[in-house]
Amino acid sequence: MSATADAPLPAPSLLARLSQPRTLILLLALMWIPLVIYVMFGHMFEDSRDYVLIPAVPATLLLYVLAMRAWWESKIAVIGATLVFFWMFIAVVVPFLPLIDPNQPIAPFTLPFSEKKDIFFWLGTDFKGRDMLSRALWGCQRVIVWGVTATLVAYIVGTAFGLIAGYLGGWWDEIISFLANILLSFPVMVLFILILNYLGQSGFNIVIAVTFASAPAVMRIVRGLALDIKSRDYVFAAQTRGEHPIWIMVVELLPNVRGPIIVDACLRLGYTTVAITTLTFLGLGLQPPDPDWGLMIKEAANTALIFKFSYMLIVPALSVSSLILGFNLMADGLREMSLRD
Amino acid sequence: MVKLILRRLGQMVLIMAVVSFVLFLVFDSDKFKKQIAVNELGGFGLQTLTEQEYQDWLSSKGLDVPFYTRYLDWVGNVLQGDFGFSFEKNTEVGPLLAERLINTGILAFWVFALMIPIALTLGVIAGMKEGSAQDRSVSFISVLTTSMPEIATAIFLTVIFALGLGWLPAKSAMTQGFDWRQLVLPVATLVLYDFGYVARMTRASMAEVMTSQYIRTAILKGIPYRRVIMRHALRNALIAPFTVIVLQLNWLLSGVVVVEVFFQYNGFGKMLLDAALFGDIYVIQAGTLAAVFVAVFSQIISDVGYTLLNPRIRFS
Amino acid sequence: MTKSDKPRLHPKVREAKELMDKGRMDRREFVRIAALLGVSAGAAYAMGGVTPSFAMQADLPFPDADDEAKSGGTLRVGMQVQKMEDPATYSWVEMSNQTRHTLEHLTFTTPDNVTQPMLAESWQANDDLTEWTFKLRPGIMWHNGDELNADDIIFNMTRWMDPDLGSSNIGLSTFASMVEEKDGKKVMIPGSLEKVDDLTVKLKLQKPVLSVPEDLYNYPTAIVHRSFKPPLSDNPIGTGPFTLTNLKVGERCELKKVTETTDGKPFKYWGGDVFLDEIHYYNFDEDNQLTAFASGDVDAIYEFGIEQFELAQALEGDIIEARTAQTLCCRMQISQKPFDDIKVRQAVVSACDNSVYRELVFQGRGDIAENTHVSPIHPEYYELPELKRDVEKSKKLLAEAGYPDGIELTIDVGNTDGPWHQTVCEIMRDQMKDAGIKLNINVMPPSKYWEVWDSTPFGATAWTHRPLGTMVLSLGYRTGVPWNETHLASKEFDEALDDAEATLDVEARREKMKKVEQIMQDAAVMVQPIWRPVFTIVSKKVVGYPPHPTQYHQFNRVWINS
Repeated sequence: MSATADAPLPAPSLLARLSQPRTLILLLALMWIPLVIYVMFGHMFEDSRDYVLIPAVPATLLLYVLAMRAWWESKIAVIGATLVFFWMFIAVVVPFLPLIDPNQPIAPFTLPFSEKKDIFFWLGTDFKGRDMLSRALWGCQRVIVWGVTATLVAYIVGTAFGLIAGYLGGWWDEIISFLANILLSFPVMVLFILILNYLGQSGFNIVIAVTFASAPAVMRIVRGLALDIKSRDYVFAAQTRGEHPIWIMVVELLPNVRGPIIVDACLRLGYTTVAITTLTFLGLGLQPPDPDWGLMIKEAANTALIFKFSYMLIVPALSVSSLILGFNLMADGLREMSLRD
Repeated sequence: MVKLILRRLGQMVLIMAVVSFVLFLVFDSDKFKKQIAVNELGGFGLQTLTEQEYQDWLSSKGLDVPFYTRYLDWVGNVLQGDFGFSFEKNTEVGPLLAERLINTGILAFWVFALMIPIALTLGVIAGMKEGSAQDRSVSFISVLTTSMPEIATAIFLTVIFALGLGWLPAKSAMTQGFDWRQLVLPVATLVLYDFGYVARMTRASMAEVMTSQYIRTAILKGIPYRRVIMRHALRNALIAPFTVIVLQLNWLLSGVVVVEVFFQYNGFGKMLLDAALFGDIYVIQAGTLAAVFVAVFSQIISDVGYTLLNPRIRFS
Repeated sequence: MTKSDKPRLHPKVREAKELMDKGRMDRREFVRIAALLGVSAGAAYAMGGVTPSFAMQADLPFPDADDEAKSGGTLRVGMQVQKMEDPATYSWVEMSNQTRHTLEHLTFTTPDNVTQPMLAESWQANDDLTEWTFKLRPGIMWHNGDELNADDIIFNMTRWMDPDLGSSNIGLSTFASMVEEKDGKKVMIPGSLEKVDDLTVKLKLQKPVLSVPEDLYNYPTAIVHRSFKPPLSDNPIGTGPFTLTNLKVGERCELKKVTETTDGKPFKYWGGDVFLDEIHYYNFDEDNQLTAFASGDVDAIYEFGIEQFELAQALEGDIIEARTAQTLCCRMQISQKPFDDIKVRQAVVSACDNSVYRELVFQGRGDIAENTHVSPIHPEYYELPELKRDVEKSKKLLAEAGYPDGIELTIDVGNTDGPWHQTVCEIMRDQMKDAGIKLNINVMPPSKYWEVWDSTPFGATAWTHRPLGTMVLSLGYRTGVPWNETHLASKEFDEALDDAEATLDVEARREKMKKVEQIMQDAAVMVQPIWRPVFTIVSKKVVGYPPHPTQYHQFNRVWINS
């Protein structure tokens, strides 16, 4: 975040201090970990489930403010971040919103902006009579949590292998590169179908499948960067100090490959979201009954294929598109800024 | 050059061998045999079989042979052009694969025939004047369409053009023989999703060329702007998009799955998904090999093309 | 039935008639039994004083030909197109639909459960129902010019009982009574089938069976030519009005009216006028069939689900609804924890209110089920007192079973008949919450569910329609039978069921079913909330499209009004 470092303020403001990498990581963790716990392991908490999300609410808002401040010069990044943080914010506050239970059947096929059974439905109801507004808002949780987690895991795995292949070279490089080549020679969807069909359909298996599909590409990028950095002086210095290779990889190499990876990660978040939605549509992804956008599209594609009911398709399709658009714009904006620097 | 190609082809064969072996290994599990049995006989049907009858059933399908034997047999047969037999479709896999690939090929042909001119034109227009209104709007449209998953686009198009206006059929099963009207929506879906990516690449490449020394010199020399663009800029700016376009072939094999399933178009992607859900091992094998072949081959073409087009890179 | 050789009336028909006259047998049930015992359908309807649901030609199993019927045209049907290997080992209804217009059966059971002669012209049973004589209709022509004869029938039945073939027909009561165990395999008892003359076959059973003619319309009992070798699709010789001209599994199945035999002579179909020129099945996945209909790709579809009803109503076409005994059993396996404790099962059952599902899931269509797996449309149905929801009782039972703070359960759902399975479980979850039972719903893809349906502790299994309640109870709940997914093992139940099955007097049988149903309910093995209707939709230009509770297609009299 170079913008903060050059901030022309006499004394470092609170926001500037919050922009330190360490605080940023802490804030990200504060936002992310509760969300993951809530979605993946929430059933263990019974009634106290909602409290888990409380620390995530201020963290998300704060991160949004920091992102706005850091990226203000790029309008594209601002729009992108706003879209992404909108859904992120919804994801963390949705249990506290005054919404109807998204799985509660009330009045089937109620059109948007109409009233039935004394309830006003802004976005209508689906074929089972469940509130579309509530489902669309709740739906972002599963897509965001599984999509981002899957991408994150793919990056951790890809980066680790990339550093090993790039830094250690030799046989390590040969073997890792060959395995990556095998995985890269599959069309992504073919790989997803094969893996998910083998493992069965669940969120955790999507994480595995996305890792298989994305990690090789990440590994290639990191390997290239590592090869380049390997010959720098500070790496030599560390080597002559007798540092352990793992230490060198993590402390010397990792921070220097961070920049290019972040842009790529934003793009890949978009791809993963598309993939998750598509897989759910094909029946290979997340399973009902909890709402998610892919599932809503799948259900509506059977039940609502006439013009009158098309709102059932349009609501989830627009939601997922806006999130992906957010990721893509963020990537564009960040790339633009990195080119300017 | 030839050496490079040969090396790549050699690598491809090795990858295919590894992949097919792994697939045979994976699909040898009892779980998968049971999956096939459930799909063939139904849950109730399977339940009436005694253990002995189940074993007999497996052997009637040739599934009781150890997988390495089946693998070796299969490799031998494939080398003779025999891809095995489909459990689900009850037909030779070879002709089935060929037919489905042709169907997907028709789809792909039209996707490329529309996508390339649209994407290149838009990309060049945008890249000519970086930051201009035309650049902004092209960039925005391309990022917007790329952000809509194919399934969402397919649904929008169906709702509007098939169910709303009634101009086009909603499904593309081609029940009455080939009908171009049924091809419109799937092609449009794929073009909409894909053109943005290529257009952005073209734009970036064009923008880069426009800032290069020789273009600036040419403009300063007073050569008409049109001619600078057509003669000098375009040729260099299209090298990068070329490789991207060839690689879209690989992407298309992913993209067609959901589009073919949604529109019920009998192509390669639908075949592969059906086979995976059924556990139809020989179809999965053949489909995967075809996919790997297309992926690696398009990579080779793209590399070779890039080398040929760009005289500055002539490596080993 | 030809007038010249009038067969004797089976004594049991007389018995049944008396019962009916005394008001102890339902008229429809009488028609069914009389028809089973060899009385021609027309006569049976007349004796029973019942008007058949469709007008019938004197001795044909099909409705009367419509005077306005126009010949010609192709009927296009959206359905999954499957392979056509060996009719005796078919396991899906779709396959049998593709075959039903080419191959025919000895008998034909109409949608209202009356079995009529088809390839057989008539049949008779001896007094104790152990010997059945089938007379074939003379002059039925195979597509290759041969005439149908007793050898064809013996060839088919021998095949069905060949243990190496693996036909499910061997499990039908008729054929189960003609086989014996030998070296661990069930083989036909020699002499069970006798060729009386060229057109007459006698079946000798080891025990009395009433349902022989009904069994012969089970879908794997289509009669193939005596030279048959699988796959059928390679050489589709049949007796039906259509023959297979093109089969591409997963794409299309085309049937064409037969006009001449394979050796070039004119072909005459025995069953009267047939109007369609061709029948085309086009493959559409279940989710897509209604959309294919909407966009005019097909004239009729196999089925659409209740969740598509609203959509179907908005389309131009006739919705056809059939009342069925298809159902969903949210059954507990009593050999597994915690369901080995009957108190837990009773708590689950009494926490649920079966009466709401019909309204909430099917918008008032279908019938309420009562956890007995006997449907009001089954002739022997006994109406038990209405099930009452009792949350307090449920809580008390749970506490007694050692769960004073409630219990957490997980039900596996495969949505094998569509997403309404899941809706049922969601309603169950809401109801059970009041009793302190937390129900998790584990939704899995249909094919995965069929891998665990017999082993999961708590699962929602779909059962198809069967004409008799005793039939399904025998298949699913007798001790140790393969489809016994609840692992119910009750000697009392088995004996009560035997007793009911052996009783012809329907009123008496119904009384006996009271005990059977009561045992089922008391065992609390499942929440079975609904008998579902099935829906299909047909274009307005298609006339005479018959509804059927198991989606069997028979298009002999269907015509297209273009």
